[in-house]
Amino acid sequence: MNKANKAEKKTKAAISFHMKCAKTANGLTHFVMYGDVPKKKMPL
Amino acid sequence: MSNTRGISFSNIDAEWKLALDPENIFWSLLPRSNGEFMLPDDLISLYKKEHEHLDTEMRNFRFNEPLNCVYIDPTDRCNANCPYCYIPSKIRKHGKQMTWEQLDAALSKIADHFKGAKKKPVIVFHAAEPLLVKDILFQAIREYHGKMLFGIQTNSLLLEKKDVTFMKQYRVGVGISLDAATAAVNNRSRVSVTGGGNFKKAVQALDWFKGYEGLNVIATVSKYNVNKLSELVKFLHRKKVPCVLLNPVRLTQKRSWGLKPDDMVYAKNLMKAVETAMELTQKTGRQIVIGNFTNVILAIISPTARRMMCDISPCGGGRTFLTVTADGEMVPCGEFIGFKEFSGGNIFRTSIDKAMNSKPFKQIRERMVEKIDECDTCDFRHICGSPCPAEMYARGNMYKKAEFCEFYKEIIRQAFKMIAEDKVKYLLRKDSMDQMVMEYQY
Repeated sequence: MNKANKAEKKTKAAISFHMKCAKTANGLTHFVMYGDVPKKKMPL
Repeated sequence: MSNTRGISFSNIDAEWKLALDPENIFWSLLPRSNGEFMLPDDLISLYKKEHEHLDTEMRNFRFNEPLNCVYIDPTDRCNANCPYCYIPSKIRKHGKQMTWEQLDAALSKIADHFKGAKKKPVIVFHAAEPLLVKDILFQAIREYHGKMLFGIQTNSLLLEKKDVTFMKQYRVGVGISLDAATAAVNNRSRVSVTGGGNFKKAVQALDWFKGYEGLNVIATVSKYNVNKLSELVKFLHRKKVPCVLLNPVRLTQKRSWGLKPDDMVYAKNLMKAVETAMELTQKTGRQIVIGNFTNVILAIISPTARRMMCDISPCGGGRTFLTVTADGEMVPCGEFIGFKEFSGGNIFRTSIDKAMNSKPFKQIRERMVEKIDECDTCDFRHICGSPCPAEMYARGNMYKKAEFCEFYKEIIRQAFKMIAEDKVKYLLRKDSMDQMVMEYQY
């Protein structure tokens, strides 16, 4: 095992998180779907 | 009585194990350490602290979300003849079309239903081909855009440049149906009634929309295109499409049954497409999102933020959305258009509340993973939701597990793997994290 892999192994830790949308689902832009189109232009 | 609640363990790959409470999607990814996987005691404390709140959140999401979207099929007719269409061909050839007076009456009723609501309802003009009556659709958008948000799903065969200008001006969400990056593959499944397919027109539409924020491409994945998904992503990225859905073919009509791709072939190719999308995003700085995979990621990291309501049990049909057919019948979802027994009433004569409380709508809301063999004990039951009731009804028993069960299991495992590898940032839209609040993080 090289040094980089060893370092990676050492830093691995358990992961857990939970998020909530600050806006309600109907206003999400995680991916723009029907009804979610922002009023203003967004950078592409 | 024994307590069946708690955390279950499963393998993600050789390096990661998943600890998950399937009832509320409390999850943790545990790395291999000195050959062992360990659940730290402070993580157990976190679970004890959060699980009641997560139970409530999941319960509310499953049973207390209000109606927020109405699909309207303003015509039953179609200028295409896709081999997997869920609308019976007889209806499509000779079906009804709404008049302006009828569409106006339906929208007026919907507007009344949502009067005083915090959010504007979403109205989606959908199958068969809504642009066959585009004049009344655009009139509706002009008259009701202050009260509603609009979307149009189209094969684009009748789309004109001036329509695109109109849709951009009114910030209409648009879904273009396109199954592959080449005419040869696409036109096998996206067949037009005059011969050929929609490839040329769909590509012209993408060029006209030119990276519009409300643009989506919806591809139906069948045996024909399952090996070409990555190529489609590359093609759409070049065309500046921000989002593509690579949805499984629904087996609601018998003629589509032979088109189902193998679950594991589909899963492998979907993941290849996701990898392609991530590479292109990193390389060019311009993002393309595979919407149905992103929805799985959301179902894990922020279950109530997911957008596609097929992958939750009970599904969104007759609960968070309904479909109004061209003759005014209200059905839980467009997939039920061929099954008259699922009508909750006619919008020209019946209130939306009455339809929502009708027996057929309740029947769909009562179809839950807890009542389905195998799903009732599956760890991923509240991530995939075992879609779809209409499809399973058509195949003889609504209370059977999802047709694409093995596919879902595999992509959910892959989604957890990507979370472990810190790839979420490439899978959600760049600005979406600004809308998210971290409730807890281990």
